[in-house]
Amino acid sequence: MSGWTAAAAALLLCGVAPAACGAATGPVRRRVPAQNLTTTLLSLVILLLAQGYGRPAYTDPALVLAVLGPAGTLLYVRLLADQLAAHPPRPRSLLAVTALSYTAVPAVVLPLCVATGPGRAMVKLLVIGVLLVLGSRVAARAVTAAVSAGHGRTGPAEGMSDG
Amino acid sequence: MSSRLRLWVLAAGGLGVAVLFVLACFDLPAFGGLRHPYGDRAVHAALARHTANTVSSVNFDQRAFDTLGEESILFGSVVGTVVLLRQTRDEGRLPPEPATVAPPVRRYALIALPVTLLIGLYVIAHGQLSPGGGFQGGVVVATALHLLYIAVDYRALERIRPVGLYEVADAAGEAAYLLVGTAALVTGAAFLTNFLPYGTFNTLSSGGTVPLLNAAIGVEVACGVVVLLARFLDQAVEIESGDRDDEAEAGT
Amino acid sequence: MADDLPLLLGLLLVAAAGTAAVLVRDPVRQSFVLSLFGLALALVFLLLQAPDVALSQLAVGSALTPLMVLLSVRKVRRKARSERREEHE
Repeated sequence: MSGWTAAAAALLLCGVAPAACGAATGPVRRRVPAQNLTTTLLSLVILLLAQGYGRPAYTDPALVLAVLGPAGTLLYVRLLADQLAAHPPRPRSLLAVTALSYTAVPAVVLPLCVATGPGRAMVKLLVIGVLLVLGSRVAARAVTAAVSAGHGRTGPAEGMSDG
Repeated sequence: MSSRLRLWVLAAGGLGVAVLFVLACFDLPAFGGLRHPYGDRAVHAALARHTANTVSSVNFDQRAFDTLGEESILFGSVVGTVVLLRQTRDEGRLPPEPATVAPPVRRYALIALPVTLLIGLYVIAHGQLSPGGGFQGGVVVATALHLLYIAVDYRALERIRPVGLYEVADAAGEAAYLLVGTAALVTGAAFLTNFLPYGTFNTLSSGGTVPLLNAAIGVEVACGVVVLLARFLDQAVEIESGDRDDEAEAGT
Repeated sequence: MADDLPLLLGLLLVAAAGTAAVLVRDPVRQSFVLSLFGLALALVFLLLQAPDVALSQLAVGSALTPLMVLLSVRKVRRKARSERREEHE
């Protein structure tokens, strides 16, 4: 088992599994950031496995997950905005989750870039890394925005009008 | 038979099934060996037709007829959903409340939309070279279009997304697959034969009809999913059941 | 055996997600768990060297399935809310 596959297994055990537990249990204010963290870390695991198995074609699923994961998180925030506003997440835990994404992405993508060497494959890896970072950032911003918008508004969310 | 007795019977039956299952699992052939009679022949045929992605070759070339059936299943379920979720006579359509979208979300979604669209088109176009193809890329394209729903409110999305056009394009994608298959009949070969020149291996134009069928499926799946979600969104955001009006009338 | 470690972890994740999907009752929470289940399945497909299937699962399970589930929940709750309002009137 190569070092890359071992790193993928380690990230799975210590990163994806706890994040998935956080997304499967608990109140909505915990699930939404945890879901974003799960998709980000899973994308990194797929990149590590691609290097470990020696199949560069596996970076395509990671690319797709890097754009669709944040799209899913934003959909959750949009459709569950009233629940998020009623019970907002603690700012510190949100910050911790986002910081975790920010550190994990370069920690995985940069060694992979070094191992791949310059070329189209490295550009693809960098694009995936940038998309993952942007996705985590917008997820955190969306949650805080939904919370603050909910406090300023007394009516229900879109599509749930009482009139 | 009391409930407790039933549970004991269930536990005994479950235990028996578990034992048999475990014994069967130990007897299974080893997973994922290097040789397999069908696998060898499929890979050989794919390489002979200059298609780098063997799965795409199997889906769109060697067993293209099965993919036609799968595509028709998706088409049929979208048609069924449109019929079920249409606005009936006793329902009214209310304009949705304008929703405020936070500027960082709007900025991200308006950047992510063309990026996701591009990635979806990339996956469709490279179906014969790398993992992916018409179905996967089509769903990514449809999700990209729904990033608009996140970025702007629903009324703006409706203005930009003419559902009728997507319904026509959905049918056109389904028809295009059939037409490519029928075109093979014109050359004297069987339905859905790969009659185009195979091209150079590992380039975008390799594989004969595989890129064309990929494109047809991509259009069909993307438009079908957009129509499906449009119906769901209409029902959830706009259409109101008209029962309240009947109650009010009966009261007066 | 060490080579199988990622696959074993993936299968355990699938088993855990599947059990959680059955045990959760509220539809909103279930949409989260279903999305996680889809991710775990995509991982297992990738570990079993089937990237096309993994790509299909990721595409469908990340945004499409939760969207449909949440929109249905929204519609049903709207109807229940308007019926409650009729009773008050």
